Amino acid sequence: MQRLLLIAAVLVAGCSKGPEADLQYISKARSLGAEWALVNEQSSAGKLTENYTQSMREAVREQLKTASSSLTQPNSDYAGEIGALLAEPDDATPAQLRAHADKLKRIEDSLESA
Amino acid sequence: MNPLELTLGIMTAVGGFVDISELVFAAKAGSMFGYALIWVFVVATIGIMVFGEMSGRVAAVAKQPVFNLMRHRLGLKLGLVTLLASLIANLITCAAEIGGVAFVLNYLTGAPYMLMAIASTAVLMASMWILPFKWIERTYGLLGLFMIVFLVALVAIKPPWHQLAGGFVPHIPHGLSTKELLIFAYYMVAIVSAVMFPYEAYFYSSGGIEEKWAPKDLPMNRITCTVGFGLGSLLSISILASSTQLFMPANVGPELLGSSALEAAIPFGTTGLLLALAGMLFAISGAAIETCMANAYSLCQFFGWEWGRQRKPWQAPRFTVAWIGFFLLALAIILTGIDPMNLVEYAVLFSILVLPLTYLPLLLLAGDPSYMGQYANGPVGKTFGWLYFTIITVAAIGALPLYVITSGGQG
Amino acid sequence: MSPDDPIKLVSQVLDLPLLDVGGNYCGIVDDIELTGSAGKETRLAALLVGPGAYEGRLPAWAMWLVRKLAGDRITRVPIGQVASINSAVKLKVSADSLGLHKSENAVRAVIPHVGAM
Repeated sequence: MQRLLLIAAVLVAGCSKGPEADLQYISKARSLGAEWALVNEQSSAGKLTENYTQSMREAVREQLKTASSSLTQPNSDYAGEIGALLAEPDDATPAQLRAHADKLKRIEDSLESA
Repeated sequence: MNPLELTLGIMTAVGGFVDISELVFAAKAGSMFGYALIWVFVVATIGIMVFGEMSGRVAAVAKQPVFNLMRHRLGLKLGLVTLLASLIANLITCAAEIGGVAFVLNYLTGAPYMLMAIASTAVLMASMWILPFKWIERTYGLLGLFMIVFLVALVAIKPPWHQLAGGFVPHIPHGLSTKELLIFAYYMVAIVSAVMFPYEAYFYSSGGIEEKWAPKDLPMNRITCTVGFGLGSLLSISILASSTQLFMPANVGPELLGSSALEAAIPFGTTGLLLALAGMLFAISGAAIETCMANAYSLCQFFGWEWGRQRKPWQAPRFTVAWIGFFLLALAIILTGIDPMNLVEYAVLFSILVLPLTYLPLLLLAGDPSYMGQYANGPVGKTFGWLYFTIITVAAIGALPLYVITSGGQG
Repeated sequence: MSPDDPIKLVSQVLDLPLLDVGGNYCGIVDDIELTGSAGKETRLAALLVGPGAYEGRLPAWAMWLVRKLAGDRITRVPIGQVASINSAVKLKVSADSLGLHKSENAVRAVIPHVGAM
């Protein structure tokens, strides 16, 4: 019985495509946008070192690119949002970055409740 | 009991408690589920106290390390399966730790990640070669005490203590969807695995033999395990609680290892940031060394080769080649470009699968009067030992399905 | 337990580590050699150490892998060389005198003897 459940779970996880499968990348991008905003906010307040700020911004970009390229629906609205987030300059204001993160959160929530 | 030795032992255990897996899962757990997973950290910490004390006791009384006795109990075939499984689990963990060290060095210096991975592996190998066992353990353990900044930071951000205290009471949060419940269950398994990593028991018991423990050291062993691991777990819980306060309202996962350092930067500025990064650097470095040594210990003990850092490297030649080899293998894994955060997921998964196989011989041995004489497990030891064996077996059975269904906790 | 005491089960001795007279590890009891036959008393004749001694304890495919990785050397430790048996087998002589440290010595030759405290 456990084996059957396991096989079923694997099939369900593997066969899903589209927005459901992209949920983990939307969630990841949302978090990355929020972390970027937090870093920029704390950096403006003089609480971070230059090395840390720069390294974190680079890490965010790299992870966002990976998430973006993993999407199964590259023409969706959330793909566009992630693209817009990537297009922001390194020192974008926290508000701008959070706007993207919040949009992604709303998409994430609507997909999860679906 | 020498008070200085005891204090140093406790401090080493505290500073060495947190590794990259606990850091990552504590931060994510706090952001996703608030204070609700604190009690799981407590339960898991009691588990490592129980098994840590047992493995130290076996080292002091039977004076044989866990892997020798394990092969004798399980026999060649099952022993080889356990050996191979734990070598793989520890290797993946070691690679994750090296990746973590490389990240932290990148955050501190801005130098490229891959270069820092190579440089840090070289430094770790050099310290393994040059320093005697006690110095290795003490240096990384005590320097890991910088992690205390996370505890201080939590106090500084004034969390709702009443709510936080509620997290210590075992409970499942209300109102979770089925999906969220499955992710909660996955986090429970992951936390148990990360806190009770198999390498810890191997390293601790082999270390006890390296330091020539005897029955007179048993009280120190008991105190080090309870007080040391207990205080150490407060550091993990602080990271979780700060994440609840700071990351949850900000929609932060977190996805990046470096974001955890923000927990100290927000209240204390650059000083807090640098202390947090220093703590992470030494705690994770210490874990890299321990996972590597645990593998070298296991391999040598299983085949009856000379082992131990108490001897000079050329006095235990195959042991030396083993730890060098494992470090290089772990570095090679990192150099493939795999994300260390993925390695953390795999490490936690493999380790929980291996955990029952690892702890069963230890439990049987610690309760066997023919090996342990008067120091065999009493009724309390037996009860807790078998209780935790049941817990980790249930966790091991549920781990793989939960990992698959929740896409590694991502949903 | 001394080597002359009756051994209730083979499992008492099998897979125990070996320590030579200097307290150095020199292998694991990978198999044992018994003397005696049907109707006669069975006695422990020797301990067998080395990857070759896994023969019969592992399935054929695993034994093939072992041979490829580690060879099939067996070193025979006559029971007369054993001082005592409890949580480890303690020998009366040094590992080198029984030919038990060959691999260890070979690896020792390639390790630099410098720099360690």
